[in-house]
Amino acid sequence: MIEFERYKLENGLTVILHHDPTTPMAVVNTLYDVGARDENEQKTGFAHLFEHLMFGGSINVGDFDQELQKAGGESNAFTSNDLTNYYEIIPANNIETALWLESDRMLSLAFTEKSLEVQKNVVIEEFKQRYLNQPYGDVWLELRPLAYQKHPYKWATIGKDIAHIENAVMQDVKDFFKKYYCPANAILCISGNFDAPEIKALVEKYYGSIPGGLKPARLLPLEPEQKNFREKSIDRDVPADAFYYAFKMSERKNIGYYLGDFLSDAIGKDQSSLLNITLKKEKGLVSEINAFITGSHDHGLFLISGKLSDGIDFETLDSALWEKLNEIKESGFTERKLNSLKNKLSTAKAFQEQGLLNRSISLSLFELLGDANGINEEIEIYNQIENNDILRFAQSILKKENCSLLKINKSK
Amino acid sequence: MNRKTAPKTNKIDAISFITPEVFELNEQTSLLWMAKVPNETTRIDLYFNAGLRNGKNAIVSMTSSMLLSGTTSMKSTEIHSRLDDLGAFFDIGLSHEGVMISLYALKKNMLEAFKVLFDSIQNASFPEDEFEEIKAEKIQNFKINMNRVSVLAQRSFQQHIYHGTKYAELSEEIDLQSTKQIDLISFHQKYYQKGLFKIAIVGALNENHIEDIKRLIEPHIISESLSFLKTFCNKPGEFHIEKKDAVQTAIRVGKTLFNKKHEDFLDMSILSTILGDYFGSRLMKNIREDKGYTYGIGTAIAETGGSGYFLIGSEVGSNHLKATLVEIKKEMLTLQQEKVSSNELQLVKNHLLGQLLKMSDGPYAMMDLFLSVESYQMSTAFYNSYIERIHEIDAETIMQTAQKYLNWNEMSVISAG
Repeated sequence: MIEFERYKLENGLTVILHHDPTTPMAVVNTLYDVGARDENEQKTGFAHLFEHLMFGGSINVGDFDQELQKAGGESNAFTSNDLTNYYEIIPANNIETALWLESDRMLSLAFTEKSLEVQKNVVIEEFKQRYLNQPYGDVWLELRPLAYQKHPYKWATIGKDIAHIENAVMQDVKDFFKKYYCPANAILCISGNFDAPEIKALVEKYYGSIPGGLKPARLLPLEPEQKNFREKSIDRDVPADAFYYAFKMSERKNIGYYLGDFLSDAIGKDQSSLLNITLKKEKGLVSEINAFITGSHDHGLFLISGKLSDGIDFETLDSALWEKLNEIKESGFTERKLNSLKNKLSTAKAFQEQGLLNRSISLSLFELLGDANGINEEIEIYNQIENNDILRFAQSILKKENCSLLKINKSK
Repeated sequence: MNRKTAPKTNKIDAISFITPEVFELNEQTSLLWMAKVPNETTRIDLYFNAGLRNGKNAIVSMTSSMLLSGTTSMKSTEIHSRLDDLGAFFDIGLSHEGVMISLYALKKNMLEAFKVLFDSIQNASFPEDEFEEIKAEKIQNFKINMNRVSVLAQRSFQQHIYHGTKYAELSEEIDLQSTKQIDLISFHQKYYQKGLFKIAIVGALNENHIEDIKRLIEPHIISESLSFLKTFCNKPGEFHIEKKDAVQTAIRVGKTLFNKKHEDFLDMSILSTILGDYFGSRLMKNIREDKGYTYGIGTAIAETGGSGYFLIGSEVGSNHLKATLVEIKKEMLTLQQEKVSSNELQLVKNHLLGQLLKMSDGPYAMMDLFLSVESYQMSTAFYNSYIERIHEIDAETIMQTAQKYLNWNEMSVISAG
């Protein structure tokens, strides 16, 4: 059980306090409800570029990192299609420094043209390092627009084109900040060893006077229901043929998210998962096969991906895979298998919650979904899953007309 | 409120380190137990003298990948299903000097899970079909990796750092192809069945459980003492590996150094941090935050049982290779010629103390800190002297350390792209 206290400041900022007396550290986690899905289609990659700029100086502080490091702290951030998250890890007795810094960049940014130019270059190098200069690195740049036709999930967080990053100008940055970086659109979670009344006073001191702003309404184009199988085949200079089956599934708040997570573990998480045993070990069709979900807040994807063994063609894999998926749709899993999956989830969760940072991020994510206490409820949701639930879920999503298939052909 | 002024900060003067209980199993083998854990999680790490230095790389690495691939009485799928039933998971790490297998489980399941894991390791039979499967997988991974500039640079760097020693050996596709099942069986016999040299347990297990574990492992502990490669010297100079059409070039710069037993280790760690081991470091500030040549650049000191080396690593836009090397050289020279300002030095000191505090957060972290000194027959007193050293080191000493260890012409400079 993760204990926490939650309240709102008058300006709309949501505050979560999680007290842990066993650690000498503290974490200040700030989540903004803005991600790549909120971008203009002509200016993609912007939420992520903006995350880099947040370290470029704020109205009263010239060098964010330097001030934090002086207090023995460190910081990082990540952007997804759904949200942007910043955190500071700092000795508990210097927590005020993190609040000072994080509140100042919520108040107002003050970076230069030079900092914008440099961060554009840094992000372009990140684009190259992660997506262009790796074997199979550009898969998501190809798969997203195949699986999504209308919804902004059709572009990746890094952006759909380097040119969009190159073309970003200062006014874009200012508009973005004004719209999304206000207290009403943020969740602040403070974890660690602190005195609650003291920390509340500090939060009020640093955040209370920031103008609240309006939480921006989110009106995204809806993705129409997929009615036909889609397929795309591309050639790349890679040593093995690869496949990505992407099935549409429900949004994060739906029970379908948990069923998808559970089913993907069952068929493709590790060596004892079904597809590993049948398609890899027994039939030798693939050298690796995995299943996982994107966990997106709007309609997500359920993926089965892998690489073909030498000498095996896509058609052979395809028919063997569908045969297995149809078996699952018919009979599901044994009681023993369901229990072992539940046991593994419990162990994994216990280890994740060892870390103060993990707890802080999870509390913030669940609060964004509607209730931070979700962190204490999810294991029970998994534990209640029965074979019938899995059957119903598998039958509803593992259908050809609900699938987009990306094939990567190796260079001959 | 004055937002322009930073709040007052507090200093870190001391950290109280918790150490595990140590049971000597024989002269070179010990069992370490950190029993005080405030939750249900447990972890067991097993260390075998089965690292790359003991055989051909391909054989050593395939053996470590096949430890849970079946015994004469259990097939691999059964081993994995039994661990799954207990909600346990594991990972296997391989280095030049050993193999570490970590098992994670909740307290109530740990002893059972450990029995399954340990039995599988000790009685591994390396079945033919599993062997062919692992071989095909390794070959495919090898081919994929050879398309990464970071891997190409790292391989060449390893050759230059460990020049002329066993540690410089690289495996090629042909080595994987020609490896035979019998090679694995004899390697396993020699280095696993009598090769356990350390076991580290974190978790609030019963005393009885610990006794059971001791009994299980006893027949398999190592009897001869371990000795590690003590002297190696890198081959200096600039070397480039061409990879057509790469949009980024990987860089590795480094030289032979030492491990924490050396008297200059602490000073060198602090110097390495200033140069490249935190977000505000000289290299990050210059090459990422000023020039935008890279997404990241960093330094590290890697330790081996008998020695160690210093390393700078980055991936930069292919058109920025030359300029980046010029800047790295310049930053090293600046540290040799100019004293760091008191502001920067103070900042780095505070940063390092904060990092150390973070690294001592909780029983798992404490065990890891302990392990990283215990391997060198040192105690956690090392960390107290580190804290002292951080407080007392001055700019003059940093400059002298740079003059001693950051000479460009002693470096192996590798690029791939």
